[in-house]
Amino acid sequence: MGMSQGEGGAAAPAARFPRDLLVAVAILAFCAVAYAITLGFAKAPAAVAQNVQPATFPRLVLTVIAVLCAALAVMSFRVDSARKRPVKPMVGATAVMMVGFVIAFDTLGFIAAMVLFAAAMPVLWGERRWRRVLPFAVLFPAAVYLVFVVGLGVHFDPGLLGIN
Amino acid sequence: MDAFLAAGAAFLDPYLLGLVLVGTVGGVLVGAMPGLSSTMATALLLPFTLTMEPIPAIALLSALYCAGTYGGSITAILVNAPGAPPAAATAFDGYPLAQQGRAGLALGMAAVSSVIGGIFSVIVLIVAAPMLARVAYDFGPPEYFALSLFGLSMLATISGESALKNLIGGAFGVLLATVGMDFTTGVDRFTFGFWELSEGIHFIPVMIGLFAGCEFLTQAGQLDRVQVRAALDAVRLPGWHHFRQCAGTIARSCGIGTFIGLLPAEGGTVAAMIGYNEAKRWAKDKSLFGKGDIRGIAGPETANNAATGAAMVPTLALGIPGSATTAIILGALLVHGLRPGPHLFTETPTLLYAIFLAMLLANVVFGMFGLIGAKLFARVTLIPIRFLWPSVFVLACIGAYALEQSVLDVWIMVGAGLLGFVLKRYGFAAAPIIMGLILGELVENSLKQSLIIFDHEWLRFLERPIVVTFLALTLLSALWPLVSVWRARRAAAG
Repeated sequence: MGMSQGEGGAAAPAARFPRDLLVAVAILAFCAVAYAITLGFAKAPAAVAQNVQPATFPRLVLTVIAVLCAALAVMSFRVDSARKRPVKPMVGATAVMMVGFVIAFDTLGFIAAMVLFAAAMPVLWGERRWRRVLPFAVLFPAAVYLVFVVGLGVHFDPGLLGIN
Repeated sequence: MDAFLAAGAAFLDPYLLGLVLVGTVGGVLVGAMPGLSSTMATALLLPFTLTMEPIPAIALLSALYCAGTYGGSITAILVNAPGAPPAAATAFDGYPLAQQGRAGLALGMAAVSSVIGGIFSVIVLIVAAPMLARVAYDFGPPEYFALSLFGLSMLATISGESALKNLIGGAFGVLLATVGMDFTTGVDRFTFGFWELSEGIHFIPVMIGLFAGCEFLTQAGQLDRVQVRAALDAVRLPGWHHFRQCAGTIARSCGIGTFIGLLPAEGGTVAAMIGYNEAKRWAKDKSLFGKGDIRGIAGPETANNAATGAAMVPTLALGIPGSATTAIILGALLVHGLRPGPHLFTETPTLLYAIFLAMLLANVVFGMFGLIGAKLFARVTLIPIRFLWPSVFVLACIGAYALEQSVLDVWIMVGAGLLGFVLKRYGFAAAPIIMGLILGELVENSLKQSLIIFDHEWLRFLERPIVVTFLALTLLSALWPLVSVWRARRAAAG
């Protein structure tokens, strides 16, 4: 495998292993773990299960996935796979913010979490004009509060800060 | 007739009329915004429709669906960034036309051909859905099992990086549907001690995560992208000579879009691509395609809107989604306690006629708004993504939370978003997983019931002609991409 077209059309070096082979192996490993978990499912009495135990269908689906993955692995050698461009650090930072938002949602309460998120995200993404960030951090949560809490009656847990 | 009149009377209510208008305008706006598709908007909106009556809820989502398909064309033409995947083909000729200073004409043709395609498909929906539903009266569990397998196998032919990956995604969705208590035996599966999971993974948080959460991360990786916006002259109706030039293309695309939409799992994106290719193939002079041929807009825009109504046919008549967005509308019907299929036509005909009318109205309204307000709608692209996408993510969290008012659902949404991003990076699309998740319960239950009927003799599936037909179609659609590749290689070699 030589050079191949990467994302955006730029030539990218070929990967050491076919990318889809690695994907197939990862999914097969997932299937193996999931299959092992189905071994722990409780068995239902025959009269209730009517010969279809709770594990039967998930195992059938896992087998189908495994067969499809095997086909993917075989076919992976037939296609050139360019090495993926690395994920930009900003994507990782955004993922951390997503998780952080839910943690704050669960602990500080939704309103506080939303104000923090609305202030921090634009800054993280490069917005430096505070005249834009601050109104957004105040007005957006206020609008959400009005529409969802006051208007639609969605109840949010007040959290540690007790803001509801 | 009574049901039709009742549905018509329902639209005299300003509340319902207002909702359809809001859905239509909202659909055009989200459709116009690159990254925000009508599928994502429908997923985001669905939890908030749960408190509504079924008719307004489904009418709102249907209007959003129709208008969102059209809205994508605005940014495809002006910014060369399709607002939604079905509008990707529109950019091929729409943007070059805009660069030539003829954006108004391009937008006018997009609006008119979208309305023609959309209204044609709603008429097909009104005629075909009850007919298909009558056929479905003969369906028992084995037929439904074979039909749902056919629906899943069609995932192999939808657009995406790989047919195999679409099938794996669909099967993974079916596996996700097995999480929770097995309703036959009461045994918990894959719940890992979380009692909240006993009721299963609700498809709404997964759906929102796979579409909105994943797109949030995708946008984070594209912050340096610069959009070049073509200048927009006044939007105007195409002249008669344009219609004469495009009449054949529009007629063909109506047929193409309707046929593609009727097929389970296929949607507007595939229809638009085929509509574009056929417009080019039938053209005597192909030299302007890709450089600003008006037929290159009429073809895909008619086809993708013709697919919208048609995709509702299997959704309503059989409970098998015709596209990703109709999968969400199917989910909405289910959460409102309605089971799509033949009984829907006998038990709630007013709802069905209300859906038909809402879609008709949405097509007329977006056509008018498209001609009058495209300039305004195009301004949504000016909203800075540094503010837009964090807002979308917060709304996604609220959407996931509002369903059960449970933070676990928000975690599921975020987890689905992260997983969706990784899967997308490796060529797996979100739509097949959603399809699998929604069809999973039907597949499992119909299989179990069939096995009981057949006394666990699998070969007895082959005694039923409808089952055999669907199984043959399943095999054909699952293997079709392989056959296509083989034929293409042979053609290239010889």
